[in-house]
Amino acid sequence: MPTQSIPARYSAVAKLFHWVIAALIVTQFVLARIAAGLPLGMHKLTVLARHKSVGMTVLMLAILRLLWRLKHPPPALPSGMSSHERLAARGTHVAFYILLFVQPITGWMMSSAKNYSVSWFGLFTWPNLIGKNEGAFNFLRVTHDTLSYVLFTIAVLHIGAALKHHFWNRDEVLLRILPFTGPQGPRR
Amino acid sequence: MRRTLLGAAFCASAIFGVATRAAAPSASYTTDPGASRLEFVGIQAGAEFKAVFHKFTAAIDFAPDALANAHFDVQIELDSLDSMDNDRDSTMRGADIFDVAHFPTAHYVTRSFAKTAAGYTALGALTLHGVTRDVPIDFQFTATSAGARLEGTARLKRLDFGVGQGEWKSTESVADAVKVAFSLVLKPGS
Repeated sequence: MPTQSIPARYSAVAKLFHWVIAALIVTQFVLARIAAGLPLGMHKLTVLARHKSVGMTVLMLAILRLLWRLKHPPPALPSGMSSHERLAARGTHVAFYILLFVQPITGWMMSSAKNYSVSWFGLFTWPNLIGKNEGAFNFLRVTHDTLSYVLFTIAVLHIGAALKHHFWNRDEVLLRILPFTGPQGPRR
Repeated sequence: MRRTLLGAAFCASAIFGVATRAAAPSASYTTDPGASRLEFVGIQAGAEFKAVFHKFTAAIDFAPDALANAHFDVQIELDSLDSMDNDRDSTMRGADIFDVAHFPTAHYVTRSFAKTAAGYTALGALTLHGVTRDVPIDFQFTATSAGARLEGTARLKRLDFGVGQGEWKSTESVADAVKVAFSLVLKPGS
């Protein structure tokens, strides 16, 4: 099938998913840090409500992104990369995709277990995934927190690798995901 | 002056009430605490949350053909609220919200009743957090073999009663509008 040909750069849609979700995840870290420093009160509720709305947005985008990704293969990695470098790149990307789902879902479950339903920017309310359960809440909170550190670590690796490709290997790996970087590669 | 007039009005209505009561008696009920439910639904961060009051008493005088004699007197122990989260419950009991240490109970007393298309409506005064305001309730009354069932709702604004001080005055994350719902299983007796 001609649609399965491998492009040299990420498509505009892939770039949009990448950068929008990246920006939302940075927002999530900032909101979570702000909320953690606040006493239980109106301000904390407001910040957490925003965190939940953004998190559910990430989940919806992650579903769309995965569906899109399954139909549109990414550009191939540079030919000079060793097998363990390829494995590391692959593993990082798979871990990102898993976390794009697991983080919002553990957060959503946390809210459900605490009996605080999740609203999406006040427009509608998501159903509770599980019933009130303080034990489950505590477990989910630890899981959600721990995975946030995992996500942060992977993001550092991801950014470090992209910079290494750009400045050390001097290949196209970073350029092909940057917005506004010229042609989309060979025509299909 | 205004107070005197109000007092006179109350006396008159009391006398009138006694007079009509003799003509059309209404049945007296109390609630079956285990089977009855009184809850409120608030909106927090855009999502509804529900809290029940485990402890309340309701003295209900009601008969569909004697609305002039009907009378509800409901006493709610605010400390018994339960929203299925301890953090939220203790926050709501605290000084900035219900302030149960100073205002342990809420009290609702009806003044008049009317028939509506769906059931009945009652106008009464709710005393909550030291503030008394009129709150209408809409309800349905169903006679049962063991007594009766009374189900209804009311809508009020928490800030009318000063429920929400300091940062909780803001409606940014906790809406002003609160819905109250009740389903009472009534048994004969006063």
